Amino acid sequence: MQSSDSSRSYRVAADVGGTFTDIVAFDAASGQTFFGKTLTTPGQLVDGIVTGVDKAGASIESARLFLHGSTIAINTVLERSGARTALLTTRGFRDIYEIGRINRPQAYNLFFKKHQPLIKRSLRFEVNERMNARGEVTEALDEAQLVALAAQLRELGIESVAILFFHSYMNPAHEIRARELMEEHCPGVFVSASHELSKEYREFERTSTVAANAYIGPRIKTYLGEIQDRFRKERFDGSFFVVQSNGGLFDVARAQRECIRMLESGPAAGVIGAQVVCDRLGLRNAIAFDMGGTTAKAGVVLNREVMMAGSIMVGGYAEGLPIQIPLIDTQEVGTGGGSIARIEEGGGLRVGPQSAGASPGPVCYNLGGTEPTVTDANLILGRLSADNFLGGEMKLNQAEATQALRNRIAEPMKISLTQAANGIIRIAATTMSNVVTRVTTERGLDAGNFAMVAYGGAGPLHASIVARELSIPQVIIPPSPGHFSAYGMLMADLRWDFVRTWFKPVNLLDFGEFIGIYADLEAQGVRILQRDIDSKRIVCSRAADMRYVGQEHPVTVELPASFFAKPDRIALKQLFDDEHMKRYAFNAPKEPAEIVSLHSSVVGALDKPEAKRLTAPARGRKPVAKPARRKVYFTEDAGFVNTPVYARQNLVAGQRIAGPALVEEYASTTVVFPGDKLEVSKHGDLVITIGRS
Amino acid sequence: MATRNRKPAKSAQRPAKRKQTAAAVKAGKAAKKRLAAARRADPVVTEIVRNAVVAITEEMKTNLMRTAYSMIIYEAQDFTVGLFTARGEIISIGIGLPTFIRGMGDTVKAMLAHFGEKGIMPGDVLVTNDAYITGSHLNHITLVVPIFDGGKLIAFSTCMAHWADIGGALNVMTRDIFSEGLQVPILKMHSAGKINEDLVAILRMNVRIPERAIGDLHAQIATVQTGARRFHELMKRYGCTQVMNGIAAIMDHSEALARKHVLSIPDGEYEAGSFMDDDGVDAGKRVPIKVKVIVSGDEMTIDLTDVSKQVKGFYNSGEAAGRGCCQVAFKCVTSGMERPINEGSFRPLKIILPAGRVVSATKPAPMRRWMTYPMTVIDTIFKALAPAIPNRVIAGHHAELMTTQLHGHLPDGKMFILSGGGLTGGGWGAKCGADGANATICINDGDTHNSPIEQIEAKYPVEALRYSLREDSGGAGQWQGGLGTEKMVRATDEFVMNSYIERVYCRPWGLFGGHPAAGNQVAVLMAGAEHELHFPSGKVIGRMLKPGDAYILKSGGGGGYGSPLDRPIDKVEEDLREGYISKQRAQACYGLIFDVASGEVDHEATETKRAQLRTISDSVARPEIEDAAIVEADAHAGHSATEHELPEGVAFPLRCC
Repeated sequence: MQSSDSSRSYRVAADVGGTFTDIVAFDAASGQTFFGKTLTTPGQLVDGIVTGVDKAGASIESARLFLHGSTIAINTVLERSGARTALLTTRGFRDIYEIGRINRPQAYNLFFKKHQPLIKRSLRFEVNERMNARGEVTEALDEAQLVALAAQLRELGIESVAILFFHSYMNPAHEIRARELMEEHCPGVFVSASHELSKEYREFERTSTVAANAYIGPRIKTYLGEIQDRFRKERFDGSFFVVQSNGGLFDVARAQRECIRMLESGPAAGVIGAQVVCDRLGLRNAIAFDMGGTTAKAGVVLNREVMMAGSIMVGGYAEGLPIQIPLIDTQEVGTGGGSIARIEEGGGLRVGPQSAGASPGPVCYNLGGTEPTVTDANLILGRLSADNFLGGEMKLNQAEATQALRNRIAEPMKISLTQAANGIIRIAATTMSNVVTRVTTERGLDAGNFAMVAYGGAGPLHASIVARELSIPQVIIPPSPGHFSAYGMLMADLRWDFVRTWFKPVNLLDFGEFIGIYADLEAQGVRILQRDIDSKRIVCSRAADMRYVGQEHPVTVELPASFFAKPDRIALKQLFDDEHMKRYAFNAPKEPAEIVSLHSSVVGALDKPEAKRLTAPARGRKPVAKPARRKVYFTEDAGFVNTPVYARQNLVAGQRIAGPALVEEYASTTVVFPGDKLEVSKHGDLVITIGRS
Repeated sequence: MATRNRKPAKSAQRPAKRKQTAAAVKAGKAAKKRLAAARRADPVVTEIVRNAVVAITEEMKTNLMRTAYSMIIYEAQDFTVGLFTARGEIISIGIGLPTFIRGMGDTVKAMLAHFGEKGIMPGDVLVTNDAYITGSHLNHITLVVPIFDGGKLIAFSTCMAHWADIGGALNVMTRDIFSEGLQVPILKMHSAGKINEDLVAILRMNVRIPERAIGDLHAQIATVQTGARRFHELMKRYGCTQVMNGIAAIMDHSEALARKHVLSIPDGEYEAGSFMDDDGVDAGKRVPIKVKVIVSGDEMTIDLTDVSKQVKGFYNSGEAAGRGCCQVAFKCVTSGMERPINEGSFRPLKIILPAGRVVSATKPAPMRRWMTYPMTVIDTIFKALAPAIPNRVIAGHHAELMTTQLHGHLPDGKMFILSGGGLTGGGWGAKCGADGANATICINDGDTHNSPIEQIEAKYPVEALRYSLREDSGGAGQWQGGLGTEKMVRATDEFVMNSYIERVYCRPWGLFGGHPAAGNQVAVLMAGAEHELHFPSGKVIGRMLKPGDAYILKSGGGGGYGSPLDRPIDKVEEDLREGYISKQRAQACYGLIFDVASGEVDHEATETKRAQLRTISDSVARPEIEDAAIVEADAHAGHSATEHELPEGVAFPLRCC
């Protein structure tokens, strides 16, 4: 990929979602970026990718680099359409996967449900072996038993095997040997061991992680293989990388083994895109806000770095399955354009979590939806256009939407139609602002110190309202917000994150050993990455999870290079005390602290496409394109206001627009409120300064 | 059977007119004021406030969990956070301990009465662990921060958390509150922003691991202050009046919803009884739990007058806990998913609870295991309501925290106390349309987690040998009760073990012909011994374990629902295939007949046998609800603790308390 064959000048990213496949192609030769959107083809996902690339005006053959993210991993778990999988685990513990953490978040719901394991009880097998918490073998691995088990698994038609042994994060020897034996005696079967995915303690979470990886493994392996085959036929001769949930890329061979890492590739890529937007605008801190049809998500860029988390619950907190891998910290709420507004039994007005989704969709889609949604409310207030939706490809039915809202909300509540529509949007906005709060204030960060990069089809419609809720001063709408995750993929780097559990009190810390572990992790990372990139372009960073002795939940403390120049315990403790104060508003400098795990990130920086600059208007001349106008409702006081509607493709760099205004583009509309001021950046970002209100 | 199910006095018979006492007049005025406020509320702001107060209590919960020092807080989540009005009404409670639903509100009210509104200042942090106010034990330290707007007291941000140790005697069955640790009356932890160092010194001196306790104290203070700060921000954004009007409207919505659900319950008086094994002092003497529920129109009265008088052992709890039981049961059957949890939900509920009952104990009754009996009280309320709302209640659950309390010394010589680290979860009762959940925390707790074994082994001198589901432990039924668990833990160094397991004999009951489940158990297996040593009373006090000795906790299952003969054969086969039930149970309880040659289920023969068994069980006058406890309690004195398998051929419900 270092070759710069000019005939293969494209860098192509494909984001395959449940409904749409988004393509962004960047041509390094011309500096042009092309976009394609096509319906996802569930049977043969690769067809959708090829069609989308065509639609963008590029070709697979012309690609030097192909970057891919997909919802296939998460959907395989949620739809339970994975392989027939067996679990091998330490004797005495085949039920820990089913017992889980025993919690009951819906504390007053007698009809609560527990998580459902992906592997049923009769396919969970116990193996004679044991390590203690120091990683010492207390019972040797029973290899004869494993060989016999392998025969049984073949008999049972098992396609995939997950291995979880206790304390493998301290010493993976038994898992490694068991894996070898399975591969030897069950040829063709997918085998996955927990330490390959997570080197952190917590046996249930590790079990759930390795089980999910094994469960989705065969399907993902085949899927990625099919793309490779098809691409070979299309004479693709470049590099193929997959986006991980940590926002970094990994090579397709590894993605076929550690499939679970691509779980959140789409949302992660969106946050990476937001980080790139921040960099080009010189912003240090931003909230990445993504709103689509059914959900809104938020992530954080802090000091130019993306904030990470250590695990996620797939399928929601109450009944979900935990996956313990490094991933970009995003929070999600079930509020989107399709969220339904209802009057609840007690008389309150609720928006969501029920969603009309894409089908039947909002009432105005005319696809059979009868309950008013957030999108209907936007149409009624004039913020969406009945004629320009999806570039005019889909005509919206305003009369039906109005009737539904009037009959179901406005009249029963004895409020006006516009009050109802405005109320629905405000309620949706506060729900979404709470999800932003979860990634900021709950982490000791003040949302008021952040800019907000808003994307997703519905993000630009609501960003200004959400920003007002949280006193966020600035909103940025990047170009093509509806393709933003694919754009983020285009901007991702090769990346490998390691976390290793290592319990050590700070006052007993031996820096030789401490630095030795980092060096070891970094060497591993460099080994993986240097196959695809010049080692000079690899950068490593270090952090440690720390807590006060006695606490359970650690905070992650970034350890800058300056710390390692002259490492000492007092400085380390000080870094931790400061971080704890920042995050929780108190600390205990006199109390002893300990290290729980070490984090190492190894990043190989790829060349980034330089965003094409918009042409600036000639000096002293007004922009040519005159905006259309329509009546739009912003506030109760002002009612409907005659508002200019700009077409985004006609905007020029440096152009300024004072709210109220709308900016329409193919898959999205940006709402600029009265008092807001918009300026078009040289890269085409809409930079909105939120007015005080 | 013993249930007196007086059939619905039709809802036309409205409750008798109340006398207009002075209190009623006052309450009426307050209600009018509230109504006016609710009417003035903007419906959109109301919904925004609803989301916001839930988000605030969620953040408080996350904050405390992430910063606490004691495993019982950060993992077991033995805490509750909340926002209350200036009168002590619930605005929102973050789910921690469901049965503590009442404790914080009563504590706030007691603090208001103690200091008077004028005695509470900005910057104050109020504190107490008075067990007879909180209704629970001394380990529960409650902190309260007042929230002001322009000098006017508007609300309170509160937090209760369980401290791993509060002093007092270990390894004994306490007989009064004085032996259970330090009592902190209502005091100011901070007075107008200044910390009360004298009180901190007293706390430090009286607890076994002061650095943990003070760490938890800091985490709690930060939590209540965070709650107060967020509430201030909310008022700043929408204005105090708008916010409080919204809160009044939310309470009214919740009340309307709850009334609607109560109205759908047929009017009548519903009674049920159950038993606890014993109070830990009078071994083997059953403790009766009798409840009465009266439904009339859209109001429900729960009468706990006939619950046992307070007992000698430490199983008592205070009035706040007794009332809490009623509120938990009420919320579960009316609006389990409604959030925020707020005062309005409970307005249609009246509670009759004289002082001196085991759930309204008075000083100096011992309270250390306050949480145990209320769980069975709640289950018994469901049992009483079963004939009225068979689709909304569940059969009995294991109703026990299933903990051990271990204490000893770490290799560095420091003392450790591990309580709650052993939480195992147990079976939950089956319900109409679904099997009971396996291995889930009891109803006293909500979002409570067990501790990862890998973590416990890294921190304490223990080694787990087994943590598994208990085959056959769920009650058989058309819908089967959930399975309990079994956890075996070996000592790698010496320590002292305590465990106070209840409901060993008085097992979780089934409903509508569903069978009872296995009871809870605790045992030890000493190094080199062949057999487990069982503790028939379930109470293990001060047992020394040496390296190689192990303890075993076996949690009970959940009761079954409906006759096992109505369970589809393929479901029984699947349970058998997956090892949830034994072949013996499939035959004995579910009437399955296996073909001798193939070992497969003979469907035809099974149907024939089921038909025969149905006539037998019908002839024993199938009880509407399994409630033989009162009659048969004594007969169970000799009941083996380990016996839960059923003899061949018994297909009708075994009677159990």
